[in-house]
Amino acid sequence: MADDPQDAVAEPGRMPVAATASAESSVGSESSVGPASSGGSTPGRRRRTLHGGTSIWVALLWLGPALLLIIGVVVFPAVQLVRAAFSKYSITGLRLGDAGTTNFKNVLNHSSLTTVLANTVIWVVVVVALTVLISLAVAQFLAKDFLGRKVVRWAIIVPWAASLVITAKLFTMIYDYYYGTLNLILSTLHITSGPIDFLGDDRWTMASMILVGIFVSVPFTSYVFVAGLSAIPTDVYEAAKIDGARPWQTYWRITLPLLRPAMVVASVLNIIYVFNSFPIVYTLNDRNPGFLHDTTITFMYKLAFKSAEKDVGMSAAAGIFNVVLILIVVVIYLRTLKWQEQED
Amino acid sequence: MAAMTRVAPTRVAPATPVTRRRVGWARARRYVLPLVGLAVALAFLGPYIVMVLNSLRPSSDVVQTPPTFLPRTWQWSTFGDVLGDERFLNWLKTSLLVATSSTIIVVLVAVPAAYFTARFRFAGRTAFLFLVLITQMFSPTSLVVGLYREFFELNLVNTYLAIILTNSAFNLAFAVWILHGFFSSIPKEVEEAAHLDGCSRFGTLTRIMLPLTMPGVVTAVVFTFIAAWNEYVVALTLMLDDAKKPLTVGITSYVTGYEQHWDQLFAASIIAIIPVVILFAFIEKHLVGGLTAGSIK
Amino acid sequence: MARKLTALIAGAGAAALVLSACGGGSGSGTADKTGDSAKKVTSIKLVAAEYSKDHTAAFWKQFAEKYKAKTGITLDVQVVSWDSIDQQSSTMIQNNNAPDLLNLNVYASYAKDKLLYSADEVLSPAVKADLLDAFVKSGTYQDKMYGMPDLSSARALFYNKDLFTKAGIAAPPKTWDEFEADAKKIQALPGGNIGYAMPLGPEESQGEFSIWTFNNGGDWKTDGKWAINSAKNVETLAFMKKLNTQDKVTQNNPGKTNRAQAFDLFKSGKAGMVVGFSPLAGALDTDKKVNYGVAPMPTKEAGGTPQTFGVTDYLMSFKKPGNQAAIKAFYELYYQPDQVNQFIKDEGFLPVTKTGLAAFASDAKLKVYLDTLPNVHLTPTDDPTWDKVKLAVQQNLGAGVGANGDPQAVLDTLQKTAESGG
Repeated sequence: MADDPQDAVAEPGRMPVAATASAESSVGSESSVGPASSGGSTPGRRRRTLHGGTSIWVALLWLGPALLLIIGVVVFPAVQLVRAAFSKYSITGLRLGDAGTTNFKNVLNHSSLTTVLANTVIWVVVVVALTVLISLAVAQFLAKDFLGRKVVRWAIIVPWAASLVITAKLFTMIYDYYYGTLNLILSTLHITSGPIDFLGDDRWTMASMILVGIFVSVPFTSYVFVAGLSAIPTDVYEAAKIDGARPWQTYWRITLPLLRPAMVVASVLNIIYVFNSFPIVYTLNDRNPGFLHDTTITFMYKLAFKSAEKDVGMSAAAGIFNVVLILIVVVIYLRTLKWQEQED
Repeated sequence: MAAMTRVAPTRVAPATPVTRRRVGWARARRYVLPLVGLAVALAFLGPYIVMVLNSLRPSSDVVQTPPTFLPRTWQWSTFGDVLGDERFLNWLKTSLLVATSSTIIVVLVAVPAAYFTARFRFAGRTAFLFLVLITQMFSPTSLVVGLYREFFELNLVNTYLAIILTNSAFNLAFAVWILHGFFSSIPKEVEEAAHLDGCSRFGTLTRIMLPLTMPGVVTAVVFTFIAAWNEYVVALTLMLDDAKKPLTVGITSYVTGYEQHWDQLFAASIIAIIPVVILFAFIEKHLVGGLTAGSIK
Repeated sequence: MARKLTALIAGAGAAALVLSACGGGSGSGTADKTGDSAKKVTSIKLVAAEYSKDHTAAFWKQFAEKYKAKTGITLDVQVVSWDSIDQQSSTMIQNNNAPDLLNLNVYASYAKDKLLYSADEVLSPAVKADLLDAFVKSGTYQDKMYGMPDLSSARALFYNKDLFTKAGIAAPPKTWDEFEADAKKIQALPGGNIGYAMPLGPEESQGEFSIWTFNNGGDWKTDGKWAINSAKNVETLAFMKKLNTQDKVTQNNPGKTNRAQAFDLFKSGKAGMVVGFSPLAGALDTDKKVNYGVAPMPTKEAGGTPQTFGVTDYLMSFKKPGNQAAIKAFYELYYQPDQVNQFIKDEGFLPVTKTGLAAFASDAKLKVYLDTLPNVHLTPTDDPTWDKVKLAVQQNLGAGVGANGDPQAVLDTLQKTAESGG
């Protein structure tokens, strides 16, 4: 079953290579066409191309609307982005002409680029890693049956349901040095002697950002894992119990490997979302000048509107770098997983 | 394993240390788990409790130094004021319209697409699925200028259609991915049986496959609705009329550089969360089993 | 040949590329799609900044109704928050779809790009004569006026009378030495008070710095040339750093505090002094919690004339075929005393016209600002380079007053930015 090429696509880990192989191999073979080929008297379109695959027009009928939306709403603006990256702009936004590769060079030579890149790496790695770990624990907890479980499940939805902009503004107030709730709680519990500048003190800023990043990512990740856990058949656990496995051993040797596909889905999605996350980083750094705690996404925005450069072309070039960066990261991640799988 | 020699193969075990531990835990768990549950719930609700308290005090009390946990003066009128504000009601209506429409479109478009890619071999299938993944990687912030240009050329700036289409497209990738996994995991025999009974392809899809993949559909619905409900950057750029702004954009009016109405901002935000929680409460039971059922065999 | 669908997808992508390349520069967006400049428009668009939730949208709504009744032209108003108006206007201009009117805090770069109408083309001589000279000057680029002022504000020193009494300070300070001493006295009071709340965060550090350095005889430009790192300016920034790091009479981290937070501290009764303006006074009057007074800024030396720092925002108009008459009618209506002064009064700001000065003179609270308004000192908004310098100041000035701040170095960098044309 695991070799079924169709299912390879459902497991993102195998998508790039295995699916390609299956697509190639399927072209010539008749048996891999869907159930229609085995049914005798099916009405509906079964026309085959000369090569035995499904007709291109049929494909278009089913995929057409999706393709149209994606090309219209994502591909077209993406092309605009590329054009903008090669253009020269005035501070007002007026296009002045072509710029060749100047914008790209300017971004690469920017004095804050290394800081921003380092911040992005820390931000993505720490948030995703901790989110996955915490979500595993939360999901495990939610899978148990206890009084009030429903309430807890609803409570976890709230950070997901609230808009990121509002949550970020809320945390800006909670973290405030003078009127922030966090400092109030810490001093009431006598954990700290004086207020901490969570957002302004350079030692604390990144940690404060990361906490909020994890806070908003755990809800949906937990649900991914809850779904994953519920798909594991209970006889597996019973067998383990009979063999006398302790809870930790069961978890480590049975649950986690079976949760692996869910973990892949969760981590890939999280990497993309956290990398592209704008409101949290931007709002929490609202009072901080410069780029000291920015990630590549807020860097791109500030280049266009808030920095001394105020250059839309440069911002577009940074945007292109961002897409290339996240693409490379995701592909490398998926390839590594596939490689690890083969090693096992 | 050491444990093996001590525990008998049958369930009826003598009171060895391991089983005694297990029994003790079973009793304590009735009390411990709800307490842990409370702690977890508080951890996630905590900041929003602060938000609720901030909406029940005057704006000046919110930013007063030194702060107090409970309001110094309780102000109960804020929610009423916000709900009575015509501008707010317009924003709410827009958000409901946009989120619901986008969700419907996503389901209508993603289901056939995912079904087709799951079931059929065709040249370019990989390309399509990869394209779908790549679209997730573009940050809306970088696409917004191009989107404005495109809708401007089509004379669709400041129309609901523009942001509905945009939200649909942005969430399509996730929906297709999720549903693809689901459709792939349904055994072919089910469909074959339907065909033998004379079902058309479309009939099979709607009457047999869809009910089986309901958790996937529900997952796509929840994700899309929340994403569209909370979308900010594109709506900010494309919607010019105040009445056509969704909540996320509209509520930024409450706090400007010159006048800050924190109480109203937070009250409005709480009201904005409620529709999502209601939606979730209704369909929550279908959600479990939604997210990865396709990839676990 | 086998990869037909892949080819199709690639082809569609290429088509999108071609389409977008072709679509460059065209498109009108107004109801009247015409290239014939003789044909008049039937609607114009205004992008207005949102000063307040309750007043801005309401004012423009009634204005649009009156405008339509008078001219028959529809006025589409888009109200955008200050946080996003830069992004919004840039997006529109990148797509060659500038609005007809834009309400922003700068204008000179747009004039430089030859996008705007000058006053000669759209402002009646009577209206122009009524505008206060300081604002006409700040709205003039290369001898032509492009930036029409919509409202103005002026800063003054707000002080907490109760804290002053407790600290034994009889009157608000007139010199910097007095100021420093007073701040120290308030800081020394028990109860965690702050001598002076100093916002040098990225929102408006150029404003805070301006008002201090103007009262030291410093300025951004001298004789038409950039002089950001002049001796007087460095002295000012060094003094501000001293207040923070040596005297420790400011709130925590001034380089990362924005105006609203500084005001919140003053409104809480925690800060003894802050540089404020009329909206702050309005808020204080509503809350009735702080017994406050307003005084002119202290000057460096004794006997100096206090300088008022003023700000005006601009309503600029874009050249588009057929909209000149409509724009003219807009300004005509806007500068009617019942419109412009109503707007200013609702939002709690200061007038921009001579008739406005007279109209507001009856308000005793505003006297301290109105007296100095005709001679108000502004930042060099008439220089397009300022648009970039201002951003550089916002991002860099705050660091100069921190523990490791170097005022000379910071101002040198800013001077370099200004001299390189931004």
